[in-house]
Amino acid sequence: MLTATVTSASLLPCAWACLRGTPERRLVGLEMTGIIVTILLVLLTVARQRLPFIDMPLTLALLTFGAGLVFARFLEKHL
Amino acid sequence: MTAHAIAVDGLLAATALSCWAGALGMIRMKDAYQALHYLGVPAIVGMGALTVAVFLATGWTQASWKCAIILVILIASNSVGTHAAARAFREREKDHWEPLPEDKEIEFVEGRPR
Repeated sequence: MLTATVTSASLLPCAWACLRGTPERRLVGLEMTGIIVTILLVLLTVARQRLPFIDMPLTLALLTFGAGLVFARFLEKHL
Repeated sequence: MTAHAIAVDGLLAATALSCWAGALGMIRMKDAYQALHYLGVPAIVGMGALTVAVFLATGWTQASWKCAIILVILIASNSVGTHAAARAFREREKDHWEPLPEDKEIEFVEGRPR
């Protein structure tokens, strides 16, 4: 649980990156947020002994990948 | 405290440290291309250490194997996603992503990028 708390605090720099700077920096911040939240969900699942919930980070890892590709595509042409 | 518990705690500490290293490194870099490199630190080191920790803590359970699947997904998607993002940044900046002779930052030798 302590590791989950320390890891969740590392979302603050990601929020900083997402909220200010160029669109490129914001996309990098978003991708970093997806990875850290995936790790955080695994930590919480194991810490709270709710092992069936491990499907949530698994789903998030897949969805984050798709979302990153879509955002990159829009950033390339339309934004 | 047993050696087993020390190993699990050490791996969890490595996970938290890699998340912080990735996030702070991303913030500190000058441009987005450099910041992209720091995505690999939590995705590979952090998730790798966490997967080993989960295997040590819970044994060969379904949750451990799903953790390993998440690690594989993160490694694969991180490399593809990073390349896609860098390509999008270059396309946005220069309207092309392939190296062309008019690009000043690329040296061409016999008509091919060096």
